[in-house]
Amino acid sequence: MRLRILPKEEVPRMVQALMADYRVVGPKAKGPKFVFEPITDPSEIRLDYNITILPPKVALQPPQERVARINLEGEVPQPEPLIEAEPTVIFGAHTCDVHALRLLDRAFTADYPDSHYLERRRQTLVISLECLEPCDEHSFCKDMGTLTADEGYDLHLTDIGDAYTVHVGTEAGEAALEKYATTRAATDEDMRRLNEVLSAKWPRFTHRLNFDAAELPSLLATAYDHPIWAELGERCLSCGSCTNVCPTCYCFNMLDTISLTLKEALRIRRWDSCQLDEFARVAGGENFREARAARQRHRFFRKGKWLRERFDTTGCVGCGRCIRACLVNINIVEVFNTIHGSA
Amino acid sequence: MAGNKSQGAKSQGAKSQGKVKVAFFDFACCEGCQLTVIDSLQTHLDLLEAVEIVNFREASSEGRQDYQIAFVEGSITREQDEERLRRIREQADILVALGACAHTAGVNALKNLKPLDEVRQYVYGEHADWYDTYPARPISAVVEVDAFIPGCPIDREEFVEVVKALLVGKKPPIPDYPVCVECKLKGNVCVFHVGKVCMGPVTRAGCGAICPTYGDGCEGCRGLIPNPNENAMEEVLDEAGLTLDEIMDRFTMFNAYRELEAGE
Amino acid sequence: MTQSSIYAPEFARLVDVRPLTELEKLFTIELPNGRSLGHDPGQFVMVSIPGVGEAPISITSSPSRSNGTFELCVRRVGDVTSALHRMEPGDYVGIRGPFGHGFPIEQMRGKDLLFAPGGLGLAPLRSLINQVLDERGSFGRVIILYGAKRPAELLFRDELEEWAARDDVEFHVTVDRGDETWDGHVGVITTLFPLITVDPRNTVAITCGPPIMYRFVIMEMLGKGIPETQIYLSLERRMKCGVGKCGHCQINDLYCCKDGPVFTYAQIKNVPEAL
Repeated sequence: MRLRILPKEEVPRMVQALMADYRVVGPKAKGPKFVFEPITDPSEIRLDYNITILPPKVALQPPQERVARINLEGEVPQPEPLIEAEPTVIFGAHTCDVHALRLLDRAFTADYPDSHYLERRRQTLVISLECLEPCDEHSFCKDMGTLTADEGYDLHLTDIGDAYTVHVGTEAGEAALEKYATTRAATDEDMRRLNEVLSAKWPRFTHRLNFDAAELPSLLATAYDHPIWAELGERCLSCGSCTNVCPTCYCFNMLDTISLTLKEALRIRRWDSCQLDEFARVAGGENFREARAARQRHRFFRKGKWLRERFDTTGCVGCGRCIRACLVNINIVEVFNTIHGSA
Repeated sequence: MAGNKSQGAKSQGAKSQGKVKVAFFDFACCEGCQLTVIDSLQTHLDLLEAVEIVNFREASSEGRQDYQIAFVEGSITREQDEERLRRIREQADILVALGACAHTAGVNALKNLKPLDEVRQYVYGEHADWYDTYPARPISAVVEVDAFIPGCPIDREEFVEVVKALLVGKKPPIPDYPVCVECKLKGNVCVFHVGKVCMGPVTRAGCGAICPTYGDGCEGCRGLIPNPNENAMEEVLDEAGLTLDEIMDRFTMFNAYRELEAGE
Repeated sequence: MTQSSIYAPEFARLVDVRPLTELEKLFTIELPNGRSLGHDPGQFVMVSIPGVGEAPISITSSPSRSNGTFELCVRRVGDVTSALHRMEPGDYVGIRGPFGHGFPIEQMRGKDLLFAPGGLGLAPLRSLINQVLDERGSFGRVIILYGAKRPAELLFRDELEEWAARDDVEFHVTVDRGDETWDGHVGVITTLFPLITVDPRNTVAITCGPPIMYRFVIMEMLGKGIPETQIYLSLERRMKCGVGKCGHCQINDLYCCKDGPVFTYAQIKNVPEAL
């Protein structure tokens, strides 16, 4: 893999060039926080961002999308699939979020491929960014093994001062780099600086789990009846924020709506959350996870055990978004540590 | 569904039997929800293709009584309101509570927190004796209601979606989840994170989280979600620095009727 | 570029609608171009009404009796099923599927079969029962224990009479509460189990019914000595996709839509949320 050097002053030009052919989704400031949103001007991109409210998943599984249109004008309803995809660049994703895409890729490919997600994925280039500092006290990427990435990106940037090194991950990435950016070959001095920043970054990140994350599935296997779930159930507001900000959550609802003329119906897919009261209720009225405690347990088991076992990749990438979003301070690190402490 | 005399004004796939006749009525309210309806008639021209409005004092002088769907705005605050509401219920196949006052009694129920005489004195002064009043209540306290559209005022788009649902004979898609969901899906900065307070975690969504989207905390105008964790919400407000009285104010601004009922 | 979508239904015509009880109707549905649904007993389809919604419904007809159509037995409980109940022959409904793992009929050949449906639980089991009866020679005994709340709630009464009349079917039916029309057995479904004896090692037991019923029926089956791996049940959950993605039907780590809806008792006995 060749290493290229992208001088920082070239970044806006690269973004501008990409914008001609792609929807560029990158980190932008929103009040005191950051969000991944389509970039309308290269100056909006904030590669110095800490963490975004929602993960870059929004570019691949949007909060709401139309999946089918049904024409009702004739005698027989005519369905038409709607694949809302366009060439997209995710610019500046942190590596935790890159790891999360691997889980989404597997979930949407398994058994019955989801053409909506997969077509967007096919048309998306991922340009990721190495984290050199912890984004805040809530991230635990080092524990979850997501502090760096060897794959999952088309191009990967590392800040070495006045320039970024660019690792090329795929042929598509290489082609895009050639077409849209002005780079130069890395010199020995660039390599020395790269090694320097990479060695310097690791000690800045601390371990926050008191155990090896690989133990999570077996640890949870013994914790189904742990008293902590009841305690979380007391505190939880069931607002769904923890799952809605999660980069590896992909549950959804389907909504059917119709035009006022009754001539056209739409199927709409929208993010849904296992934390909401109605999530597991059937039409007859039975709710299979009525207790908030059971819903919280469901989330932690999905993150720590079930997703990993089903898709052979981590179900939690340690971004800490759920901790920041929770108004009642439910903290996934503390929950896992508590369970470990009482095991 | 209570009081549902038909399965919907018109079933999908059924032959068209002409437009569905709808009417609008009001009790104690500001008529702001009906204004929103008038607004929606301008933005969704197909509405008048889909329904025929036969009674709408605020918009037209016509006053026919052959309606199938009745939208009722406002709270019930007097004995004599009940009779009129019952007559509407009698005629309508489907009765819809339009807006917070009809749905939850809304801000009208704030007066229920004080002695009735004191309230009457405050509002009507020396003529207090001339005016009859009793504690404000939602219309569902008097008659069976088939559907409700929450909010102060209602959300225009939601009103249109409810009309569509009634046209195809399904339960109106009013969310049972909290405002936080819509707020997160919009990628908003949580107002708690900028030092404000918000009732979004326990308030019914459907408004598109409009207040937090513009940087203000949710006031709870759409009523509480089913099974809200009120204790946890009180702790959140407490942690945000509110006094007990301020917390109470937050819970009773639009939900006094419910809080008083729950307290009994 | 037009791509297909697993979430876009195809539209199929209702060729017959027949009321079975006050709450249930039987819908006979024909796919476009006379195509067969190609389902296994125990599988389900996602049924949708444009603008109203979509719901999972188990297929009640046997693949052996397809004639280019399939049947759904639908109870009126929510928006979709109510809208369906208002439809007439000639109307169109959206169909996706068939989805899920059905009953492993190949593993049942040569075995004695004990069916214990409760209420609407007869719908998915009827698919298997009729296939078994159409290939009657390749199975051992066929025992059917059917329970409903009231006589008026018994489904497929003509077929029940047929089963009762057959020499090669041991059929027992009960209602929780009788009435003046009923001179049969009264009591919950478990009261039928003492009426039969089985060779447990050679018996496969199959049940489906309301959530509350499973524990008691399974206890009876285990009490007869039938191994956990030979007890099959079909579970109901909320489903929005039917293909293992939306998360609604998840029972701990199992997806009811994809890993089920048919499970063995051995598979789910240690899954706390299953029953």
